[in-house]
Amino acid sequence: MKDKIAKIEKEALSEIVSSANDADALEALKVKYLGRKGVVADLFKNMGHLSGDERPQAGQLINALKNTLTNAFEEKLRASAFSSEEKGERFDITLPGTWHKTGKLHPITKTIDEICGVFTSLGFMVVDGPEIETEHYNFETLNIPLEHPSRDAFDTFYLKSDSGKYLLRSHTSPVQARFMEKNKPPFSIIVPGKVFRPDATDASHSFMFHQIEGLVVGEDVRFSDLKGLLNVFAKKLFGKETKMRFRPSFFPFTEPSAEVDISCIICASGENKHSDKRCSVCGGKGWLEILGSGMVNPKVFEKVGYDPEKVTGLAFGMGVERIAMLKYGITDIRMLFENDVRFLRQF
Amino acid sequence: METDVSADRLAEMLTMAGLSVESIIRLGADHILETEITANRPDWLSVIGVAREISAMTGKKLNMPKIKTPNTAPAQNDINIKVEDAPLCPKYTARVIRGVRVAESPAWLKARIEAMGLRSVNNIVDITNFCLFETGEPMHAFDLDKISGRQILIRKARQAEKLVTIDGKEAVLDPSVLIIADSARPIAVAGVMGGLNTEVTAATQNILLEAAYFDPVSIRRTSRKLGVSTDSSYRFERRVDIENIVYASERAAGLICEIAGGAAEDIISIGQAQDKKRTVSMSGSKLNKLSGMTIPPEKAKAILAGLGLRSISQTTREETFEIPGFRQDLQSEIDLIEEVLRVYGYNNVPDTMPNVMAQTNFDPKLKFEKTARQILCGFGLDEIIGYSLLNKKLAGCAASLPADSIAEIMNPLSAEQEMMRPSLMSGMLGAIAWNLNRKNKDLKLFELGNVYYKKSGDSFGQDKYICVGICGQINGGWDGCARHVQFSDIRGIFENLCEEFGMQEVSFEESQDTRFSSLARAILKIKGRPVGVCGAVSQRLLSEFDIKDKVYLLEVNLEELFGLFLPERRFKELPKYPSILRDISIVVSKETRNAPLVSVIRTAGGFILKSVDLVDRYSGKQIPEEKISLTYRLEYQDPHKTLEDKDVAGVHSNILAALEKNFGAKLR
Repeated sequence: MKDKIAKIEKEALSEIVSSANDADALEALKVKYLGRKGVVADLFKNMGHLSGDERPQAGQLINALKNTLTNAFEEKLRASAFSSEEKGERFDITLPGTWHKTGKLHPITKTIDEICGVFTSLGFMVVDGPEIETEHYNFETLNIPLEHPSRDAFDTFYLKSDSGKYLLRSHTSPVQARFMEKNKPPFSIIVPGKVFRPDATDASHSFMFHQIEGLVVGEDVRFSDLKGLLNVFAKKLFGKETKMRFRPSFFPFTEPSAEVDISCIICASGENKHSDKRCSVCGGKGWLEILGSGMVNPKVFEKVGYDPEKVTGLAFGMGVERIAMLKYGITDIRMLFENDVRFLRQF
Repeated sequence: METDVSADRLAEMLTMAGLSVESIIRLGADHILETEITANRPDWLSVIGVAREISAMTGKKLNMPKIKTPNTAPAQNDINIKVEDAPLCPKYTARVIRGVRVAESPAWLKARIEAMGLRSVNNIVDITNFCLFETGEPMHAFDLDKISGRQILIRKARQAEKLVTIDGKEAVLDPSVLIIADSARPIAVAGVMGGLNTEVTAATQNILLEAAYFDPVSIRRTSRKLGVSTDSSYRFERRVDIENIVYASERAAGLICEIAGGAAEDIISIGQAQDKKRTVSMSGSKLNKLSGMTIPPEKAKAILAGLGLRSISQTTREETFEIPGFRQDLQSEIDLIEEVLRVYGYNNVPDTMPNVMAQTNFDPKLKFEKTARQILCGFGLDEIIGYSLLNKKLAGCAASLPADSIAEIMNPLSAEQEMMRPSLMSGMLGAIAWNLNRKNKDLKLFELGNVYYKKSGDSFGQDKYICVGICGQINGGWDGCARHVQFSDIRGIFENLCEEFGMQEVSFEESQDTRFSSLARAILKIKGRPVGVCGAVSQRLLSEFDIKDKVYLLEVNLEELFGLFLPERRFKELPKYPSILRDISIVVSKETRNAPLVSVIRTAGGFILKSVDLVDRYSGKQIPEEKISLTYRLEYQDPHKTLEDKDVAGVHSNILAALEKNFGAKLR
């Protein structure tokens, strides 16, 4: 009996394994073995011929056979169901994807975010200020006297008003005074925003552009801090290899004042190495002017009620368009405000 | 001065000392350095001033030009000079030179004049110009014999007094303008330009050479008023060295006598002889503290000495220096510190990091704006930045403000920049038109920026707004899902934005805003507060931009939105019991609006009705004309138990009954 069961199991399993992946054929096979009149049922029926002490063992063996075959059929059925999915139509995986395209931030916004990100990672706070300003904040608090040639660098749009004192800020520096009037040092802030100057529009000038202003005030802020801070900034924004130089300059609101140049990112990249032409970006000078900076002029502190004997400060400002144009290789500032989606979607 | 450095190296040195050399032009064996001079350094507006800087940098000696002392005769005092306005002209000098021969300049002088970018006129004029560039002191030569009444008056012009200046233009003067006059008429706009009436010509024999100091602000005002900027006014408004006037006059007189012949008389000088010498003190410890490094006191002193600052006294704390007349910009300690650092070399100062960082504050509104931008990009909208200044027509056509509330520019460069945008809609439509004209279709754009307006009284306002503009198709692609944008798309953007910001009670109300088509326009409200508008842009407004396509716009006041924003989100327990979904399809009249239907469903549904979603809206063959079929998916849920069909059945039939009663709805 034992041998007979073993033989049936062997035959049945081999039949199941070799049967086609076809549900009907499998079902027929299942009926043959496990059906009401199938082989296993037959075995149970024939147990009557066995002696009393043989029966329990035979019952166990037949039950085990039944389980084994049931499992084998299930396994085979599952496998055949999986294989049927292969019969469907093949998808053309070379068809273009259908997806929900995300929009793009404007390259100016991206550049502002990136620059502010560098400074916030250094602990700066981002501060906003009004675009319609008064002469008081745009000039007087910044030690730019009325009717002084230093005003020439800040040609300004004025608004029609009774007092005539309202204007469109020509730089983001007025936010310095506004912030200092309301806050006590120490602090470090960064101020992005739109500014306006009546400049005739061409490939490199726009009457509206963006600036980012930085200000750090505390008990012993030093000129060396200005250098170190801007050096970290330049390396973070333009790459580790970026070199920097500080040139003496003049701004009414800082003293000492410095223009900051970085090594030309085009020349440094080697793009011009094999060209005889002068680099069109730096004009062959090897340096790019990217920001103005300096130590806060004590006169500015006096105007906002700080004691210049007690606090010192560093300040810097940069044009966002210039940096965006350098970073992305944009050659005409006007493209930034045409809002052509073929342009916008590149960034 | 002698120097052995190359032109390139010199340019580099000057640039790094703050005198930016913009270009080097070769002229035969010579070089012309073109420099950009900052407003604080009028002394660099002269060859001698620049040479002085080179001398300080290189340590080489500066050799001042040798003046060939003219054959001076005592002034004949037949010319009467009177300064009527001493505050505007604290010093005036005049020197008579008789018997000059006006002729073409010698070749060397001509070459110098042309190298400076000027046109050679005659020897007298060329010498005054040459000396202006050499010494930084503007001078003017009058034809002595054309001066009426032997009188020179320095006075304010009379109202509407006129003068034809040597450029041939007639200047109409007023009392804000300081002039040089003779007994009869103006003969020069002081410090700006001489008059044609007393110009030196080929026939001139005797001249009067003027060298003076004019008040910088007065000259600046006059120059701006007349719209004339000259080499002379440029220097006066930046302040000339009052101590150097007599020297410059002698230099010019010497050259005139040498080149044009003639005999010079003694100088007639009116006004203060000498400014009191200014002194400024600097403390070494302050220098070191501010620079972040130690600079030996002897080094600092040597640097200042090289710049012409004489040390006059010294204490343990600080040293006091006498400031030369040509350095009017050196007023306080910080100015001296800058000079030391400038010559020491900014690039020789070490790099350190400030120890005042780590701000814990942040501006929640800026964070809100940044998040808004990210959300809008997430919707597939591209960000644009439009100009804040517009022409009158564009500013007006998309404004919801009355015309007199639009802020206006006093001094626009062109008519394109006359007004400040009262709305972002003009810029948005402009960008859409720009793109459509270039065959860029299917636009989904947004802008976040300020709009501006005039407030009552003498003040202005500016508020941040968000504007969204869409047109063309959405879901474009090959799978047949593409369709034209519709009102629900622009509405969905607003709903989704509010959802992202956790704002509730968002509603849309009918609007009368004529910037939009009467067929599809709405006022957006949150908690009953109007925060914006949206709709299909009216044909009238589209035609201003020549747009033929259908465009939907949304404009929201971000200040209002931010005011309603609750930044904190709190976790809500997930439902413990399953919900039951039931669809309900009804047929109603086409005029029936969705919102009242939903409202009736909600009321009838009671507390177990958790949500109502419109899942289908159909009109067509299977529905009578003038009717539409609407299918809502209702979700029922009880927070305290598992709902059974019988719990829902009653409520569901109540809803149907309510819909039938209120809207005559029939089950489909």
